[in-house]
Amino acid sequence: MEEKILEILGEHCEEALDYNGDNMMEDGIIDSFTVINVISDIEDEFDIEIDAKYVVAENFKNKEAIIALVQKLLEE
Amino acid sequence: MNKDTSFRQVIVIGYGKVTGEVLQYVYDKKEEYGYDLAFIEHEVHALSMTGQICRENEIPFKRITDKKELAAAFDKFTEKTLIISASNNFLFPADLVDKPNITIINFHNAILPDYPGRNAPTWVIYKGERQTGITWHYVTAGVDEGNIIIQKRCEIAEDMKAYELTERLMDLAGEAFRESFADIMAQRVKAREQGFAKDRRMYRSYEMPADGLFDMTDMPENIYRLLRSVDYGKNDIFPLMRTVIDGREAKILRYRRISADKAKSEQDGGQEEKGFRYLPLGDHTVLKLKYAYVN
Repeated sequence: MEEKILEILGEHCEEALDYNGDNMMEDGIIDSFTVINVISDIEDEFDIEIDAKYVVAENFKNKEAIIALVQKLLEE
Repeated sequence: MNKDTSFRQVIVIGYGKVTGEVLQYVYDKKEEYGYDLAFIEHEVHALSMTGQICRENEIPFKRITDKKELAAAFDKFTEKTLIISASNNFLFPADLVDKPNITIINFHNAILPDYPGRNAPTWVIYKGERQTGITWHYVTAGVDEGNIIIQKRCEIAEDMKAYELTERLMDLAGEAFRESFADIMAQRVKAREQGFAKDRRMYRSYEMPADGLFDMTDMPENIYRLLRSVDYGKNDIFPLMRTVIDGREAKILRYRRISADKAKSEQDGGQEEKGFRYLPLGDHTVLKLKYAYVN
């Protein structure tokens, strides 16, 4: 699962894979449009729906946060 | 010495990428022109970066979500003020627009006089336009009716979704703003009238292409275009599109153009039993729909 998420993230923003901070958006690594594309691919890959309430900067602050979000949604 | 302008104050209002770009640009130019700068957030968005830009640059930031309160705040301005409305849905009252010390400019995401009103990227995709663009114009009492400052055009790619087109238009808007800023500040823009017809169609926020419904027997190309036209990712601008599948009302959760080979393999793997439908699009591609029954 992690590997697939990183593959998706890398397709849309390679820089995000090397990012070690805690706010990719504030640090200008990804923007809201990249987030939309990443979400779309994750939903398709894992056949899950990511509700708009989860689309907040906190859940996209780094690759670990994205992986944690998907993990949580898959367990629901 | 300050550059040529009589504006003593610049106010930016809006949300989204173009607002951030405009805000950063007018901040960078602040010392050259010697104006005061402030940002007003009227609509709050989860992923907006404008608050961050304000914090980093110590730009005064006000969140005013109430329309009356916002109009009252603008009404208090006594200095010569330029208000930059970038991706902003607040309609400026006529008495504010008419104040001699206030100049308001607005970014519209279409080539005016065509597609005035809301959600222009949706309507241009839905109507199958090949080109669209952006307009910066002066604000008058009528919606999207003011004289044109600058326009820029772009192509609408075959598979483009509303959010992708929006992003492209925001990039164009930032570019156009930077190009015309000096002329706006010096009040030497050769603005031109729109020349619109009196009966031109105004697109309202509550309007949705095809009233949000489609028939599964429609041409797949048309269904695909319809779905792309209302796709703003997780920004809930429109409700999910609806149709009827096997006699039951269903909403479309996701859609994607995939290769015919992949579609065949998924169909052979029983995906249609798991809430998917596959419609041939031509060019060896298929429109894959993920749906859920409404009740």
